[in-house]
Amino acid sequence: MPETAATAIEFAGVTKRYESAVAVEDLDLAIPAGLITTFVGPSGCGKTTSLRMINRMVEATEGTILIQGEDNRDRPAHELRRSMGYVMQQAGLMPHRTVADNIATVPRLKGASRADGRARALELMDTVGLDRKLAKRYPAQLSGGQAQRVGVARALAADSPILLMDEPFSAVDPVVRTDLQNELVRLHEQLERTIVFVTHDIDEAVALGHRIAVFGEGGRIAQFGTPEEILRAPADDFVASFVGRDRGLRRLTFASGQELPMHPLEGGTASGLERPWAPWELLLDDAARPAGWRFGEREVTGGTLFTPGGSLREALDAVLSSPSGWGVAVDDAGRAAGLIASDDVMAAAGRERRSRYGVGE
Amino acid sequence: MNVLEQTWKWFADPASWTGAGGIWSRLVEHLGYSGLVLLIAAVIALPVGVLVGHRRSGGNVVVGVAGALRALPTLGLLTLFALWIGLGLTAPVLALVLLAIAPLLTGAYAGVSAVDPVVVDAARAQGLTEWQILTRVELPVAVPVIFGGIRNATLQVIATVTIMAYIDLGGLGRFLIDGLAVRDYSRMVASMILAAALALVLDAVLAGAQKLLSSPGLSKED
Amino acid sequence: MGNLSTVGHLTWLHLLQSVLPVVLGTLISIPIARFAAGRRARGAGGRRGAGRVRRGVVVNAAALLYTVPSLALFVLLPLILGTSITSLTNVIVALTLYVVAMMVRSCVDAFESVSPEVLDAGTAMGYRPLRAFFGIELPLSVPVMAAGLRVALVSNISMVSVGAVIGIQSLGTLFTDGLRRDLMAEIVVGILATVVLALVLDRLVTWSAAALTRWQVRA
Repeated sequence: MPETAATAIEFAGVTKRYESAVAVEDLDLAIPAGLITTFVGPSGCGKTTSLRMINRMVEATEGTILIQGEDNRDRPAHELRRSMGYVMQQAGLMPHRTVADNIATVPRLKGASRADGRARALELMDTVGLDRKLAKRYPAQLSGGQAQRVGVARALAADSPILLMDEPFSAVDPVVRTDLQNELVRLHEQLERTIVFVTHDIDEAVALGHRIAVFGEGGRIAQFGTPEEILRAPADDFVASFVGRDRGLRRLTFASGQELPMHPLEGGTASGLERPWAPWELLLDDAARPAGWRFGEREVTGGTLFTPGGSLREALDAVLSSPSGWGVAVDDAGRAAGLIASDDVMAAAGRERRSRYGVGE
Repeated sequence: MNVLEQTWKWFADPASWTGAGGIWSRLVEHLGYSGLVLLIAAVIALPVGVLVGHRRSGGNVVVGVAGALRALPTLGLLTLFALWIGLGLTAPVLALVLLAIAPLLTGAYAGVSAVDPVVVDAARAQGLTEWQILTRVELPVAVPVIFGGIRNATLQVIATVTIMAYIDLGGLGRFLIDGLAVRDYSRMVASMILAAALALVLDAVLAGAQKLLSSPGLSKED
Repeated sequence: MGNLSTVGHLTWLHLLQSVLPVVLGTLISIPIARFAAGRRARGAGGRRGAGRVRRGVVVNAAALLYTVPSLALFVLLPLILGTSITSLTNVIVALTLYVVAMMVRSCVDAFESVSPEVLDAGTAMGYRPLRAFFGIELPLSVPVMAAGLRVALVSNISMVSVGAVIGIQSLGTLFTDGLRRDLMAEIVVGILATVVLALVLDRLVTWSAAALTRWQVRA
């Protein structure tokens, strides 16, 4: 991921005022090109209004918004909108058009022929992982997750470097949501668009955003930075409370677990020493993958696994969820590679904390 | 302008209002016929509509029956029954009852079946009997829509009672038929102004009653 | 044979008086209703005060017009139009007004039944207002509009025959004539012809609406 990215979208002194209230106040923000920037905050904080000012679904009262250096009021609103993808909550699909026709909407608006539009739609269905067989279905015949994928494909069809997403996954169930989030990350790596993603869910903001803008009351940005920065050093009490009670735990997501000492599966048996996890015994299947723990006659399901390159959070969870109190590490093939001790995880977390504040041992 | 002047003169003449063939007695006749028709139609249509709505099945039958009744030409039924049963009240009342059933039936059915199933489910979960669900949950919530049906039926009946004069009965239509017979256009105009005014007033009264009977919590913005 | 050609002629007159006003009335109602329908797009701050007043005025005006009996319109309109009561123009205008009174409300409901998210999505993708209206809003309002249209059409067919009382020719003439000549058969033929006409036209509307709304498939 490029660290010093060019600016794709720039808000300069942007204010949106309605008769009775200020939705966004004096917003200055530079959204880096090629990254995912999430806007997060409580409802009514102006995050959606800010997003909608980018493609002029909402007109700013004051200030300017530059898209790749160009004032977004320099061209007609409908042209501006056709030039960037937009995904919304509930997908907002046209119920009277087939999946393929929905995806081809913007190309058709721009004058593409029916055949070209259809061909492009089929390509995009592959891109977002939709079965081409669904092309002739109507939106009413799709599941929530499928509909949302069609929404993403339709936005990609604009073929623009910028994608705006307004709480796109908030209406689908958690399992499907995680799927769609992973898919979005994959798509982003593949297509390298600038994505602005609005969500009220801090976990989603952290999981997806290379940059996070935390919106506070009254349409001001309380903090803008990388997820690590925001979790490590919340700018004020508002951000700290919004980031939540779990932020200490969440922060461990950004600390690597690679340095953790790995205890060999065999323990010290070869050299005559006891296995420190006794009387628990780790069970392996035929492929040497962890299959649970045994305590005397009882066999118990194992905990979560620590994968190569995993974070301290993953390591801590592996330890806490293991019946024996020892976390199981696996290699890329899923074979048990070693065990992690809870003391080591806590020590690593302590080192991370001290280095954050620059305090030595 | 001649016509309107004559109409005005007729309205201004006290003799037009009193007596056996006067405006007041025709008005009372008109209201009487309408009330009788609506009462009979309501006794038949409302319970059926409410019941079907409560059971939440058989809606297609209700819609079909209402559609078929709507397609029947009231004047045709009126004349047919008049020949069949003979002159008198029975024939026109029968024809008009058939006319009034469609809006009453659809209103009652639509009102009750449109009650949020979650609300009904919650009532059932709290231990209300079916009868209590109907009278304490569904009917109060359905009042505005049921009343919409009643208003619609009233308007249609008031309008159509005017043609009862065609088979030698009274009502405000009398002036229309009499005026037509002697080519007195101003009398026809007067008759229709009265019918329109009556419809307007009755609809306003029913609208007021609807407001009074509907829970303020149900009022939608319109 | 004479009777048959009379029935044919009266059916034609009846068809003209029932279909033409429904078509004209619907075409008039659509722009009025679109002007009055509440916009609920997000970010617009919900339905604004002025929009609500506009909707109220239009819907109530339509309701008021609906309270006027159709027979009254037949008799009173010539005062304004200067036509004779039995002229076709008078009948068509009166019934068109009546259809407008019924259809405005249906069309307002129809436009308001269209999901604001979908309209919003259209705007976000760069639809201009006119194209959004014909490409998204109108097709999506067909189901509710068609339901209103069916009621208006069938009611209108029944209403046309009432005109016979004051001498307007239609299938209703068979009723007045049958009563005068004491011919029950003539009346029955009239009723049957009217019902068949209503059923056929109603089917036609249902089929057209179904063809236009094939997207309304159950999941």
